[in-house]
Amino acid sequence: MNSLSVYLTVAAVLFSLGLFGVLMRRNLIGMLISIELMLNGANLNFMAFNRFLAPEPAVGQIMALFIMGIAAAEAAIGLSIILALFRRLRSINVERAQRLRG
Amino acid sequence: MMKWTLFTPELYYVAVASVFFLCSLEKKADPRRLYRWAVILAGVGLAVTVACARMEGFLFFDSYKVDLFSQVFKIFLALGMFFVTMVCSELYGIEPRKHAEFYFLLSICTLAMMMLVSAVELLTIYIALELSSYSLYLLVPMRHRADEYVETGIKYFMVGATASALMIFGMSYLFGITHTTYVADIIRKLPEVLNQPAAVVGLLLALGGFFFKQALFPFHIWAPDVYQGAANQVTTYIATASKMAAAAMVIRFVGMSTGQSEVFIQVLVALSILSMTFGNLVAIVQKDIKRLLAYSSIAHAGYMLIGILCMTQRGYSSAVYYALAYLVMNFACFMVIIKVAPDGHNLQIKELAGLHKRSPLLAMTLMLALFGLAGIPPTLGFTGKFLVFAAALEKGYLMLVIIGMINATISLYYYLIVIKAAYLLEPVREYGPVRVDPWTRVMSAALVIAMVYVGIFPDRFVALAEAAVSVLP
Repeated sequence: MNSLSVYLTVAAVLFSLGLFGVLMRRNLIGMLISIELMLNGANLNFMAFNRFLAPEPAVGQIMALFIMGIAAAEAAIGLSIILALFRRLRSINVERAQRLRG
Repeated sequence: MMKWTLFTPELYYVAVASVFFLCSLEKKADPRRLYRWAVILAGVGLAVTVACARMEGFLFFDSYKVDLFSQVFKIFLALGMFFVTMVCSELYGIEPRKHAEFYFLLSICTLAMMMLVSAVELLTIYIALELSSYSLYLLVPMRHRADEYVETGIKYFMVGATASALMIFGMSYLFGITHTTYVADIIRKLPEVLNQPAAVVGLLLALGGFFFKQALFPFHIWAPDVYQGAANQVTTYIATASKMAAAAMVIRFVGMSTGQSEVFIQVLVALSILSMTFGNLVAIVQKDIKRLLAYSSIAHAGYMLIGILCMTQRGYSSAVYYALAYLVMNFACFMVIIKVAPDGHNLQIKELAGLHKRSPLLAMTLMLALFGLAGIPPTLGFTGKFLVFAAALEKGYLMLVIIGMINATISLYYYLIVIKAAYLLEPVREYGPVRVDPWTRVMSAALVIAMVYVGIFPDRFVALAEAAVSVLP
C-alpha cells in the first residue's frame, strides 16, 4: 500500500463520516460540523494529489486554502441562520423544525 | 487594459450591488424610491449585457472565458433579474427596512451566477457557485412575519452545503486524475481515463452541486419547502434565474465526458426519469400553487436533462432553448401569483377561482404559461419539448422519449386543475378585486406575445442557441 492511497483512504473515510453525520445527526450544530468534515476530506484529497501527482506544485495547496476560507464563511452564515431559528423555536434540534410536509 | 471591457456586465452588477449596499446603510430608505431605482438599474443592466453579447476572450489567467455561450446565459440571467425587480412593487413579503438588503443580495447573486457561467476553471467555478448560494441562503429566511416557515432557511442551507461539499470532493478526484483544474484540459484528458471508476464518481459528484441548484432528483428535497417558505419574489428568482446558471453548468460538465462512458450516460438517464416521474406524480396532490410549481420544476429539470444527456450539439441547443422557454413561462406564472396575492401570502389553488372575471388579462397569461409548461402546441413550451425529444430520438433513446411523453401527459392533469380553478370554478367566498397597474398590463401582454411568437417562429432563437453551443469545446 503506497502512501498516496493511505491519504486517499483517510480522506474518503473523513468524507463518509461527514456524510453519515449530516444524514444521522439531529442537532444542527452537529450537522454543521459534519459538513466541515466533508470539506476537510476534499482538502486532504487535494493536498495528497498535489504532493504525489500534480506537475504544478501549488495548485492543490491554493485550492485547499480557498476551501478553508469558504468553509469559514459557510459556518458564519450557517450559525447566523441557526441563531435566528433558535430565537424563534428555543431549540436547535431538527425534529422540532418540521412543520412543512408533503 | 482593453481586456477589462470583457468584464463589463459583471462590473456593472458590482456597481449596482454597491449602490444598494450604501442604501442599506441609510436609516430610512423609501421602499418606493428603492423599487424605482432597482427597476431602472436592472433594465440598464439588461441593456448592458445585451450590448456585450458578441464579446469573446479570456481573462484572469484563462480561468474566465467570455464567449457566446456564456453571454447568452448572462442575458438570460439579466432578464431574470429584471423580471424579478419588476414584480417587487408590492414587496410585502420582506420587511420594509430590509428592502435595500434584498436588492443588494439579488444583484450579488446575479453577479455570482454571471461569473459562474463564464468560469472555466474548477476553483473559479466553486467560488462563483458558493457566492451565489450564500446570497440565496440569506434571501430565503428573510421572509417577514412567517413563523410557520422558519425552518425553510436552515433546510435550504443544510442541503446546499452538503451538495457543495459533494461537489468539491468530486472535483478533487477530477483534479487527481487529470492533474489540472482547467476545464478545457480536463476535457482533453478525461476520455482516456473515463474507464476508471474514480473518474466517473468524481464527475457525478461534481455534478451534484449543480443538480442541487437545478432541483434534480436526489437533490430536490429543498425545492418544495423553499418555494413555499420564501417570499414570493425570492421564490420567483430561485425558480427562474438560478435555474439558468445551473443549466449552463450542467451542460459544461456533462460535456466533459464527451459521451465516452456508458455508465455515466445510464446514471443520467436514470436521474432524468426519476426526476420527471417523481416531480409529476407528487405535484398532483398539491394544494399550494407555489408548492405545485416546485414539483413541476423538479420534473422540468428532468426534461432539460434529456436534451443535455444526448451530448450532441443538437441536444445542448435544445436544452438552451428549453431553458429560455422555462424562464419565460415560469416567470409568467409567478407574476400572476404575486399580483393575485399582493399582501405576499401563499396562494392556494382555490383562491384563483373566478380569476377570469376579476382580471381577464392575468387569467389569460396564467393559462398560456401553464399550457406552455404542459407543452401544448401554440406555445414555446411545446417547441422546447419537441426539440428536446427530437434530439433524444436522433440518438436512439426511444424508451426515454416515451417515458417523457407519458410524463408530459400526467403533468397536463395538474396544470389543468389550476386552469380550471381560474376559469370554471366559482369562488366560494368573495375575494377582493385584483389591482393591475399599467406596467403589469404591459408585462402580461409582452409575455403572452413572447410565449406565442417564440413558439410559432422559433427559428431565430434555435439558431441563437445553436450558435451559442457551437463554441463549447
